[in-house]
Amino acid sequence: MAEASAAGADPAVLERLRERIRTLQAAPRQLLSVLRTGLAPVDGVLPGGGFPLGQVVELWGEPASGRARLAFRAIAEAHRALRLAAWVDGPRMLYPPALPPLGVQLDQLLVVRPPEARQLAWSALQLLRSGAFAAVGLDLTHTGVRLSPPESRRLVDAATRSGGLLLLLTPAEAPADGTLRLHVMASGARGLRLEVVRSRQGGTARVVDVPWELLTPGAPSDLGAGSRGLDAPPVPTEPSLPFRRVRASDLRNGLIGIQGQRPGRDLPLPSFAQALGVAP
Amino acid sequence: MSQRVAYVHLPRFPVQRRVLEEPALASQPLALVHDAKGTLRVAFASGAAQREGIRTGMTLTAARALVPALRDGRVDAVAEVQALSSLAETFLRFSPAFMPSPPDGLWLDASAASLFGGELGLVDRLEAQARAAGFRARVVLASELFTARALARFGAGTRVCVDPGDSERALAGLPLQALEDAPDVVASLRALGLSTLGELGALLPTQVIARLGAQGLRAQRRVRGQDGSRLLPAALPEVVEEVRTLEAPVESLEPLLFSLKSSLDQLSARLRGRQRAAVRLTLTLVLEPTGPFAVPLALARPTTDPKLLLDLVRHRLESVRLDAPVATLILTVNESCDDRGQQGVLGDAPAGDAALETVLARLATALGPEALGSPVLADDHRPEAAHAPGPFRPPRREPGMFAEARRALAVEAPLPPDWQLERPVRLLAGEGEPIDVELDRLGALRSARVLGRRRAVLAIAGPERLGGQWWSEAPFQRDYYRVHLEGLGPAWLYRRAGEGRFYLHGLFD
Repeated sequence: MAEASAAGADPAVLERLRERIRTLQAAPRQLLSVLRTGLAPVDGVLPGGGFPLGQVVELWGEPASGRARLAFRAIAEAHRALRLAAWVDGPRMLYPPALPPLGVQLDQLLVVRPPEARQLAWSALQLLRSGAFAAVGLDLTHTGVRLSPPESRRLVDAATRSGGLLLLLTPAEAPADGTLRLHVMASGARGLRLEVVRSRQGGTARVVDVPWELLTPGAPSDLGAGSRGLDAPPVPTEPSLPFRRVRASDLRNGLIGIQGQRPGRDLPLPSFAQALGVAP
Repeated sequence: MSQRVAYVHLPRFPVQRRVLEEPALASQPLALVHDAKGTLRVAFASGAAQREGIRTGMTLTAARALVPALRDGRVDAVAEVQALSSLAETFLRFSPAFMPSPPDGLWLDASAASLFGGELGLVDRLEAQARAAGFRARVVLASELFTARALARFGAGTRVCVDPGDSERALAGLPLQALEDAPDVVASLRALGLSTLGELGALLPTQVIARLGAQGLRAQRRVRGQDGSRLLPAALPEVVEEVRTLEAPVESLEPLLFSLKSSLDQLSARLRGRQRAAVRLTLTLVLEPTGPFAVPLALARPTTDPKLLLDLVRHRLESVRLDAPVATLILTVNESCDDRGQQGVLGDAPAGDAALETVLARLATALGPEALGSPVLADDHRPEAAHAPGPFRPPRREPGMFAEARRALAVEAPLPPDWQLERPVRLLAGEGEPIDVELDRLGALRSARVLGRRRAVLAIAGPERLGGQWWSEAPFQRDYYRVHLEGLGPAWLYRRAGEGRFYLHGLFD
């Protein structure tokens, strides 16, 4: 039946189909070239518009400067492209409930927690060399590990050969040797500041400020709706929610939370802006 | 509609199986013997042994006298039947049911022949499947069990298809020996000067009853293509397991892997026959004399690829140190799932799965299986208990164009609950670390000693009260704050009710 149809088909149609097959076969197998963070200010300063695949991107800074959220936003981009990602969790502090709001698919994320610190770089190297993961995170924060030059070279080489992205999170006191090094620092309560320290594709010394609330989409803004910043310390005279002692009656009758909610969470929290004394 | 059955005859199946396990035996004179009333007699002989004059039923002593270089071994009837059933499962890709016919054949239900290009196409595929498993086979498809079996065992063709109603003509040229289960009838017919089944079929039934009784009539009905027996499907064992006793205990890896390869090939073929894919397996090495040693094998993606499984086993075994030689291998499929197959598109090579399994095996070997996993969220108000490690089983990779299509149709994931938006990416172990804080006279937080130095509070948001489990021995009541600390960034602190002390629990990195 199929042969009969083929025999009677228009040669022009067949030729178009052949051409289409040739085009598909010739198309590059690797559809991704960069992993975007989805944050316009950050992607804007990165050469190529995102974290480039096939390179080691080093995010260097304080342990609460927003580096991990930037890395996971790139991993979320890999997941959206139906690619796998891995995270070598050196400090063993990764908190998975924070990841789905960033777009990370937990079932497509392999978390590796080596029992010894000296196995961290080796694990990342194996994951990169396999080529099975589009992005591999290596978190060296609080581990005391500093990559040796041969280890760094091996990681760079593995990333280049496999076409995968290595996201290297290094502490402020021990920078490594990433192909693209970004210094991330907390810039007060307003947001984080990202500076391109090293880049082969140019753009060095570019600096960008990113508000904290942009990092997690939908998260409440500490800045509130008003225009007043939070760099100033909270108003000391009238704290909206002072700490109070737990009374014996609370323990007897069951603890009553803010606005009367029961233990657990059945009411929305009050606006953080109000708590901070910022004009709504 | 009458039944259609295919008979797969595997000449000297135990010998073929032995040669498959030990290729050095190929073209060697080999005899498999069994104990017959205290005497070892030849049950099966290889082609080379038969050419030297060794026949079934001959004593082992006589056979050795005839061929001094004869290799011999014991035949285990139970193991042979199990091996035959295992092989039969590999044919389930082409047939819905099978019935073993020990020691060297099996019937298959041929009712699904139309799916494989007709009956001739099915016969070709069955023969090719047997060849792929390493066995020589003759396949005959007919309407009666007897016809199919007799033609496969005593006929000339390797692949034969007998049309309905043509059985008598097809059987006519076969020798009387084909009536294997009626030796008395065969002896009587030979005494009468008959030599073929056609001659028996041409006799009048009344003559047959008068001389040979009911047994003779039954034999004649079979020869005339009137065999009424039906195929009784064999029940499949619930657990897919391959057991292999090694010829001699093995101490090194390479011979062990050689044996494992054929076992994995067989296991994979059985799984494919059942249209299942392995998710979790256990390789049990029975050591001599210390006993069993289990090696669990967990797969990230279900598979039936024997090469991938062998790579996985190799990686696991390279790091295992055994204190005694291996005498028996047992491969058990502990968990399996439906195998939907994988369609390659325009040269899309499924190499990624193999690379993934290999690296997972390597990491699991070096770091321990508990060091790898994929997190799973748990329904718990206590932050440190809101997740648990789970196995890493990503969805199966789809080939290029299907993946593109799925990506195009992908729907937005549902929004996460509000509370999840305020969780830190880093969480300290357990209940966190107690920290020293400075409060002003009104109780507001001014500074905190975090990560080695005192840091001023730049801004604070909260509290979020989390509490519960008052019914348990460890109730908790905490007020959480997101605190922007100087030179650090946002941190997650809480104040424990009752005690009033502050703890650092997370970092919004």
